[in-house]
Amino acid sequence: MARSVWKGPFVDGYLLNKAEASRASGRNEVIKIWSRRSTILPQFVGLVFGVYNGHKFLPVQVNENMVGHKFGEFSPTRTFTGHSSDKKARRG
Amino acid sequence: MDAQRILMGVVGRPHGVRGLVRVHSYAAVPADLASYGALSDDRGQSWTLSWRGEGIAALTDASGRTIADRDEAAKLVNRKLFVTRDRLPEPDEDEFYLADLVGMRAVERTEAGERSLGKVLAVHDYGAGPSLELEGGALVPFTRACVPDISVAENRLVVAMPDEMEVRDERNGDDPS
Repeated sequence: MARSVWKGPFVDGYLLNKAEASRASGRNEVIKIWSRRSTILPQFVGLVFGVYNGHKFLPVQVNENMVGHKFGEFSPTRTFTGHSSDKKARRG
Repeated sequence: MDAQRILMGVVGRPHGVRGLVRVHSYAAVPADLASYGALSDDRGQSWTLSWRGEGIAALTDASGRTIADRDEAAKLVNRKLFVTRDRLPEPDEDEFYLADLVGMRAVERTEAGERSLGKVLAVHDYGAGPSLELEGGALVPFTRACVPDISVAENRLVVAMPDEMEVRDERNGDDPS
């Protein structure tokens, strides 16, 4: 069942403070978090989080399309690397 | 990894009695496998592939003879199909083939010169931008800030390791470990 709209999105409060601190510093940094349950807010766009998947911190570059999703969605706990073949990676 | 040959697919089980086979394409767009022309297999034979249905193809050997018999097709099961790197189209600016990135030497610039970080083991992308896994387990976001310089010709890339900031709830802690 979907979360009630009147409650608003859930996000661990301390993430907001750290995200603002990171943005203010302007440094090249990864914010390592365990909070997979937190919703991605517009304030996080442009930052890079390292989201724990039980094994390591996978880098998550937040963009506009990810707002409203949870951090955990981008850090799978079971992985299949697949084959590289002709696949390409775009540098962000 | 052989940089000149890139694994593009594998021949699967026969389909029907007229020599058609299932082909598991690893290409980003599976149907593109046929557009690369002749594919070489792991035994050195050359094959041209033409799709007959979704995931079903006819294979023609170098002499122009198409496999037309199920028994013959069954002998090709698990053959790996390769394409040479130079047949892939040039990527756009700031785009890189994973096949080029994997195996590259990663170095970090320091005041004393350059420090080796090992090779790139894998490129991960789970919908939140690609990241490079280096020898030793480090994960680096594939961004201009973290990977400012890439030289495919020299098989080397420069990594600027990002600072790390740990964030956890001081009240009850959300680190399960």
